[in-house]
Amino acid sequence: MSPRHTTSRVARIAYHPGDSFLHRLHPLTKGAWLLLGTVLVFVARSPWAVSGAVALLLTGFPVAGMGLSRARGTRLFISTALLLGLLQVLFVREGKMLVAWGPLAVTAGGVEQGIYVAGRFLSVILLSYLFVLTTEPNDLAYALMRAGLPYRYGFALITALRLVPTFEHEGQVVYNAQIARGVRYDVRSPRRFLTLARQFVLPLLVSALGKVDALAVSMEGRAFGKYPTRTFLREVRATWRDVAALGALVLLIAASSVWLVTAT
Amino acid sequence: MISVDALSYRFQGSEQYALRDLSLEIEPGEFLVVTGPSGCGKSTLALALGGYLFRQFEGQAQGTVRVDGMDVRDSPIYDVAEFVGLVQQNPEAQFCTLTVGDEVAFGLENRCLPRTEIRERMGWALSIVGAEHLVGRTLNTLSGGEKQKVAIAAMMAAKPEVLIFDEPTSNLDPSATAEIFGVIEHIRQKAAITVIVIEHKVNYLRRFCPRLVQMRDGRIARDTPMPTSGNGQQPAGTVFSSYHTGNPAAPIVQVEGLQAGYGGEPVLRDLSLEVRPGEFVVVMGDNGSGKSTFLHCLLGLRQPVEGRVEVLGHDTRRVPVSQIARKVGFVFQNPDHQLFADSVWDEAVFAARNFGTLDRAAEARTGDLLARCGLGDRLDDHPYRLSYGQKRRLNMVSVLSYAPRLILLDEVLIGQDPENAAFVLDLLREHVAGGGAVIVVSHAPQITNRYASRLLFFEEGRIVVDAPTDEAVMQLEALGKDAYVP
Repeated sequence: MSPRHTTSRVARIAYHPGDSFLHRLHPLTKGAWLLLGTVLVFVARSPWAVSGAVALLLTGFPVAGMGLSRARGTRLFISTALLLGLLQVLFVREGKMLVAWGPLAVTAGGVEQGIYVAGRFLSVILLSYLFVLTTEPNDLAYALMRAGLPYRYGFALITALRLVPTFEHEGQVVYNAQIARGVRYDVRSPRRFLTLARQFVLPLLVSALGKVDALAVSMEGRAFGKYPTRTFLREVRATWRDVAALGALVLLIAASSVWLVTAT
Repeated sequence: MISVDALSYRFQGSEQYALRDLSLEIEPGEFLVVTGPSGCGKSTLALALGGYLFRQFEGQAQGTVRVDGMDVRDSPIYDVAEFVGLVQQNPEAQFCTLTVGDEVAFGLENRCLPRTEIRERMGWALSIVGAEHLVGRTLNTLSGGEKQKVAIAAMMAAKPEVLIFDEPTSNLDPSATAEIFGVIEHIRQKAAITVIVIEHKVNYLRRFCPRLVQMRDGRIARDTPMPTSGNGQQPAGTVFSSYHTGNPAAPIVQVEGLQAGYGGEPVLRDLSLEVRPGEFVVVMGDNGSGKSTFLHCLLGLRQPVEGRVEVLGHDTRRVPVSQIARKVGFVFQNPDHQLFADSVWDEAVFAARNFGTLDRAAEARTGDLLARCGLGDRLDDHPYRLSYGQKRRLNMVSVLSYAPRLILLDEVLIGQDPENAAFVLDLLREHVAGGGAVIVVSHAPQITNRYASRLLFFEEGRIVVDAPTDEAVMQLEALGKDAYVP
């Protein structure tokens, strides 16, 4: 059994290996950027600042050594952002009238609101993509445990990461076995749907229970849970990159705070 | 070192005892091989020696188990684990992390050892299994043999005094199997520990002259030094040869210039062959050489990128899988992945019902087959209540019930004892004798060579040997594929 092919399919929507500046940042540094960066674009009180955030995040992709196409569903999220912005432009009527054409009217306030909504939406999506594409989930789990997350939760996350490709592969095997035995996926009624769902899920569930037993034997046989804490071989140290990235984040927060205070 | 005294055990919900009044003494440094038919209690014994049976499973136990003087029944698993390590069947199922380094360090980190000691022990454990070069790799990029080496290293890192291997090679191809058994013997010599191997493939271990414990029905049936030749476990039967180079019958399978793969990555390269009625074809090759993909192409589950696959006159690109599946049975590796109904009878006729071919004749045939499989009195039981070997027999019946002309089987002998394997193979031999054809992917040359009329050997997606079995074995020898030669 080899889930090699299925893992590569998963990898397209998840971590993309690399050696760029962003890849080499500490996972928690990137976590701070994701969290505080999201807050910043929502408190920003200038369409220029929100547009600047989108531009900055777009440059993050070449910095990470990949094209924007690496973010799956590019067209979908860009068109959603444009649609959200357009709705604001068309229906918000505040400030100076820019264009009036029959029942349609575009105001300065509408354009500003459109930039806010589309820009914030794009910023959050791009920040999330940059985080996911450049952060190995395993490294993140270990970093969180080193930062104080109880190790039982950390390993629950790691186990989930490990089993996703396995179950994806097994789901394909069960589906193939059903097709080979003449099962037809024609959902004519809710009852038929339930039968099909049960026939598909039951083999996976039985397989999962077997895996849980094997994993429990493996973990307990290696003293998992013997002590309330554990040591870690991995040394994840902050580098000059993290200092620079966190410094830039602090500067941005300071600048935004000053701007907000002076604006009010 | 290990002392088992009058141990009996019954799992909750089971009517039968998995272990019955079993007593066993194992001295320090011994090399013990435990064998016996599926369901005889071998794995349960392993779980008992590690203490898991009494802590992680619900059941009823009598008797005592002592390891190095410690009462295993009353001790936490992590205390027993300081003395006893258990390497399980499937390396993937026992991994707790995603990388080689994390995996080997896992048990040491849990024991709160300092980083310098973890690093030192990790290096030692990886070197004793010959896997130092794997450090830094992610686990899902390793081959089956490499994964099992890492699983062994992860246990060895804790420096146990007893290491138990529960069918450590059942998921491996013959090359990797031979390598892992070599690693086990190397560990025994270098680390001077007690080694217990639960295994069907005892022939591989004969050269190490271990003590052989044969189990049956939860008891020890024989306990002797292993004889150096002949174990009486080969299935009865004569070599069956029906390779017809001039067979006039229309071919069942015609493959021409087949190329296929996953996401642009070629797995099969330029395959051409024909299979005719009466052929029993065994397909061999290292894991990842394209054998399973080849079977998937024959049923139409995977389409050719180039070339043509025709099965019983149907071009797999033009005819839907559902239509081909009426005439082609496919038995997959894991019995649990192909049980869909709520009773043994419904499961046996599941496919025949779906195909609309369940007439009286089919019902009678299915009833006979179930009786022959020893399932005649289990018709109303849920299939998941059957033993592993019984599930495999039920898989066979559910395919034979709709009388396909061609049967494809992917690694169906894994985890089967020789008796059950011979039963399954006898059913297939009858199918072939009745004018059908069989193509079986198998890593068990010592069994399949007694049945197969023709052998295909795959290497990197190409067929490098395609000949009647006897001749093919000679070709494999000439190619240096000794691990595949029975």
